[in-house]
Amino acid sequence: MNKLLFYTINFMPYPFVPPPEELESAWVTIPNSHYDPRVGHRLYTDYLEEEIATERFGYDGVLVNEHHQNAYGNMPSPNLIASYIIARTSRIPVGIIGNALNLYHHPLRVAEEVAMLDVISGGRIISGLVRGTGMEYFSYGENPTWAREKFWEAHDLVIKAWTEPGPFEWEGEHFHLRYVNPWPRPLQQPHPPIWVPGVGSLETVEEAAKRRYTFMQVYAPRWLLVKALQLYRQIAEEKYGYTPSPYQLGSAIPTYVAETDEQAHREARPHLTWLFRNGLQHPEYFAFPPGAMSKKSFRNFLGTIIEKNIKPLYRLTYEDLIEQEYVIVGSPDTVIEQLERFQEQSGAGVIVGAGGQWGAMPSWMAMKNMQIMAEEVMPHFRPPDGKPIWAREEPKVPTTLSEQAATVKPALAPRIRLDEDTYIDPRIGHLPEQVEAARARAAAPAGGE
Amino acid sequence: MSNAPATTPRPRRFYTEPRWLEVGEIRVAYRRRGTGEPTLFLHGAGGTRMWLPFYERMAESVDFIAPEHPGFGETELPEWLRGFDDLVLHYRDFADALGLGRFHVVGFSLGGWIAAELAVFYPERLASMTLIAPAGLHLPGKPLVDLFAMPPERVAGLLFNGQEAQYLDYLPDGTNLDEIVQAYGEFTTFARLAWSPSHDPKLPRRLPAVRVPTLVVGAEDDRIVPNEHVDRYAELLPDARVVRIPGTAHGLIMQEPDLAAAEIVAFIEGNAR
Repeated sequence: MNKLLFYTINFMPYPFVPPPEELESAWVTIPNSHYDPRVGHRLYTDYLEEEIATERFGYDGVLVNEHHQNAYGNMPSPNLIASYIIARTSRIPVGIIGNALNLYHHPLRVAEEVAMLDVISGGRIISGLVRGTGMEYFSYGENPTWAREKFWEAHDLVIKAWTEPGPFEWEGEHFHLRYVNPWPRPLQQPHPPIWVPGVGSLETVEEAAKRRYTFMQVYAPRWLLVKALQLYRQIAEEKYGYTPSPYQLGSAIPTYVAETDEQAHREARPHLTWLFRNGLQHPEYFAFPPGAMSKKSFRNFLGTIIEKNIKPLYRLTYEDLIEQEYVIVGSPDTVIEQLERFQEQSGAGVIVGAGGQWGAMPSWMAMKNMQIMAEEVMPHFRPPDGKPIWAREEPKVPTTLSEQAATVKPALAPRIRLDEDTYIDPRIGHLPEQVEAARARAAAPAGGE
Repeated sequence: MSNAPATTPRPRRFYTEPRWLEVGEIRVAYRRRGTGEPTLFLHGAGGTRMWLPFYERMAESVDFIAPEHPGFGETELPEWLRGFDDLVLHYRDFADALGLGRFHVVGFSLGGWIAAELAVFYPERLASMTLIAPAGLHLPGKPLVDLFAMPPERVAGLLFNGQEAQYLDYLPDGTNLDEIVQAYGEFTTFARLAWSPSHDPKLPRRLPAVRVPTLVVGAEDDRIVPNEHVDRYAELLPDARVVRIPGTAHGLIMQEPDLAAAEIVAFIEGNAR
């Protein structure tokens, strides 16, 4: 098996905006008059080509995500982006690290869209289920004070909609439905793999471990990443009695690799600086709306920040990012060494952000980052054949009509009524001799001669 | 990591021990002094755990009753609190538990909104209503300030129009972890009620049927609830008049407790039961 799975995530930033010193925030209130759709067209085109290239580079998967009303990431609808990627690729899994369930008018829409994508892609979807950042509660007028309970209710509804036969009734606190019966159902059974990103909330680690979901710690100093993953393993073992697979333990660590350490820093510094200091710039009151955490969690959280002197992401300098190991930058040897050390410390088998687009990189630089990662880093963590994980298994459904016809028999044939008691498969209904034969069969006495 | 038990901090000045009353499933912290017309005071989105000079002035003339809303001060936040209808029923039960019968209601800011909702559903219980810089309405082009979208020090600035240094005794200590957590908890309740919408779109259709004598008290320059909201309440309510306290900001009951109390007491006594 592959020792470490490599995923890219491209936030699709719109970097043509004023610096943070001139803005209240790069989120929520940043005037959208700064958005030029013609520039946006060019950016989406570049970013999508970078996403599609991941298959040929040999990544284990490509991730998209969801954010709203900001310059940092322009994927308000991750399902649309995923749809484009699956249409332009054949085998690579696509992880949707949306959908922010609380921001949907209805979670059934998520159940339906993800199932559609899973069926269309031949079972290549990884489904994130997320709550969204504090900023998104401002942007969507969504009440943060019951965000957690509403999220878990929506989650339970989505999972039940995917796994239990419909129609069934749903009576919850937030959703009331007489008929839950989504078409289509997902191709992967019982449902697509689920990933849950976390930013440090103990409750999220616990909920993910309980359900054996892949947990993905986002943007944190290395000690905190390691601590969160150790906690996941500890909860899984002590409370739920199982040893998690390394593939359940992930982290998002922005990584940049180049020919030499010096060259890597030279190229990465301005872009990682943009990503953290500009793209992630937002005041605390947007990030932590009241009630998004319980009073107890808020006290612990604030206590930790004060005690460990944790800076907000957007105040981190490039030196902070390197020293506290929020990011990995260096030559292939340096990146291999750091990833190995991270694996030893945490037991993680999933790395997100392994190469790709950070900040305001020209497309060639993002491609270069991915190509060096693919050719000089990934093989080190793979068996001698160098294959990505998806190349080790057959597609989940036949990809040719001949295989399909030979192996997938529908349980029912379509039927239309000709006369009283006379039905025919419409696919042969245009053949007069078949119509006659059907009538003759209907006219024959039951049980034959 | 701080695992100290959550404690309710005591404000530096004006703190008094509350009395307690069982209302339904919760214990309500409240303060009460004075004799005369029973007057229920509904506080705004903060300023809890204190017996303020304004209360003292009021209590010199009326029976002044100041409970803490569920999820504010020392009253716990119950699971069932999801909207203003829950608060209206809560205050009906609170008044019943004290045997108030008919009473006067005075509401400040968020409390003004609660008072208006109470008047919509139980007008027969109210001898009079006083709305001080009340929230609850929406005026196009004159929105309420979004208090969730700013740091606490800016809230303080808007409450006293930049003169907040003179009123530190009324404001939470932003350097104290217990106080920050307490304020977070109270804003959680506030958000539960008023995150979105930040007003009640049904009030404009409902208020014209409320025939309770009403005094609407406005500031001279309110930078949280724009001055026009005071006039709009008076337009919508059939028996209402406006009085403005000169030289004041939104925090007018803290800035001019004597003037504000004198106006309100005269109004209440003019509408004695």
